[in-house]
Amino acid sequence: MIDRIARQISFFAPAAVMSAWATVMLHTIATGHINRLLSPLFRNYVLTAAILLLVLSALYVLLYQPESETAPALAPTGRLRQLGRWLVLLVPLVAASILSPSALSSTTLTNRSSTAGVTPMPSWNAVSQEKAKEVLDADPNQPVPVEVTELITLSQNPAQLKAFEGRKVRTVGLFHTEPEHVPKLIRWIMWCCAADAVPASVELGGDTSGDWKESQWLEVIGTAQFPSTLGHVMPRIDVESIKPTQEPDEPFLSP
Amino acid sequence: MFYAAFDLPSSPASAGISWPDVALSFFAIVLEGAPFLLLGAIISGLVDVFLPAGVIKDWLPRSKTQGIFAAIGAGLIFPLCECGAMPIVQRLIRKGVPPAVATIYMLSAPGLNPLAMFSTYLAFRNQDPWLMVALRFSFSFLVLVFLGFWLARLRPEHMLRAETVMGSARTKPEMSPNPGLVLTPRPGHSLGGLQQFTGAVIRDFTGVLLFLVIGAAAAALFSTGFDRNLLAPVGQNLILGPLAGILLAQLLCLCSTTDAFIIAAFAPFSIPAKIAFLVAGPLIDLKLYWLYRSAFQPRFVHALWLRALAATFVLVLLYSMKP
Repeated sequence: MIDRIARQISFFAPAAVMSAWATVMLHTIATGHINRLLSPLFRNYVLTAAILLLVLSALYVLLYQPESETAPALAPTGRLRQLGRWLVLLVPLVAASILSPSALSSTTLTNRSSTAGVTPMPSWNAVSQEKAKEVLDADPNQPVPVEVTELITLSQNPAQLKAFEGRKVRTVGLFHTEPEHVPKLIRWIMWCCAADAVPASVELGGDTSGDWKESQWLEVIGTAQFPSTLGHVMPRIDVESIKPTQEPDEPFLSP
Repeated sequence: MFYAAFDLPSSPASAGISWPDVALSFFAIVLEGAPFLLLGAIISGLVDVFLPAGVIKDWLPRSKTQGIFAAIGAGLIFPLCECGAMPIVQRLIRKGVPPAVATIYMLSAPGLNPLAMFSTYLAFRNQDPWLMVALRFSFSFLVLVFLGFWLARLRPEHMLRAETVMGSARTKPEMSPNPGLVLTPRPGHSLGGLQQFTGAVIRDFTGVLLFLVIGAAAAALFSTGFDRNLLAPVGQNLILGPLAGILLAQLLCLCSTTDAFIIAAFAPFSIPAKIAFLVAGPLIDLKLYWLYRSAFQPRFVHALWLRALAATFVLVLLYSMKP
């Protein structure tokens, strides 16, 4: 009896594991959590993989059945080892899907940031320049909505920097502060997935007082400044107003 | 040109590790890798059902040397990520492709493919891009040739796990979609092509997925918890710089189309240190180590790891010492 039950559990294990992976993938997509994990390029692949895994699970159950007797010679790895194998495929994925937070912490920010200050990070050149041009052409009487990365792009072009300095901007990012340092507004840049994300930041000048928590999403309105220290231009926003805001649909910026 | 500013941490010491972030990184890596692994398993299943072993053998050059160069050439032409390559390579070996040739294709596809070179050019647009592309390509090529000649002298049974050398016999448990059980067709279903295909895909997918999960856990731990600034002080050193580049590549486990963007932004590293990072990473790292273990014997993977990294280091060191 126990043998029969064990054989049935063992038989359904591949289908159960593949279905669980598909369910976790679909749940991640449905809840929007995938926006915090993968760049847009890869999201459709996950959806496709989830559907295919469900199809494979169904085919497995439909096409195969266990033999009534399991020949020991054909089951060399043992039942416990097999069970462990399926659990390794199942438990870490489910645990990670439950435990993974909505944003990377300041600890990881410190580990992944560079001590070298402004560092060239070539990327989506044409697109970023186009966005910078849009920002420059925007109505000067209204706060221009800009991303942290667009301010950094502008800061590296002397002509654009000069044209934009002093303009009122509205920016959204994660609040980050360290003892004896100016507070900053952070956005994470992701190429493929959250594991390769790196932080980009602008400094916040002026009155930033408020009960802001580390890594809290804030909307900042203020004046764009581009002060230079030892040839290193670090964009800064002189804050006029600052308030909590919702996490954007795309918490990470992607090329 | 896109630039980004990075934060200036208050202390050069490691900030520690955030376990929820490790979970987030792990989840991201497996979600990114699983679709490509499944694609590789599907291609592997198609090869199993539709490509007779004789056809593949007819395509391959007869001499081992020609086979090695053909494999490097295939890696250049057919872009394939590390996760997707594993099931295909295992299937090709079972179909009679010499393990040395299949292994060199597996090693060359991620690092030499045009997408990796293009991303290197983009990432280093402001830092002598053609030099970086030329160095990455030529050093990767030389390391692959070195590894190819070493692999050509090895016997398959010294490289491969037992189930990888099984051949195409489908009655063996290693070829079953569920290696713990003997499975038979349900009444009314013959062992047709669909069943063979389904079995091959499930077996390959779940077989390699196990190693992807283990590798992703290691990659998430180090890419999240390791303070990369710890290596900054030695990044310009003639000898320690390339070693730091190699070490960083082993710990961060980045895809070959992404790695150039990350390392280009790492100002403390010299050009040789960056090249060492770009050459060593696509060949082997902590995640790939576990993926390779799905097909190869641990002893062989250790030897491959040692040789790949040593060859990269020697080449980069020679370049650094040029007058």
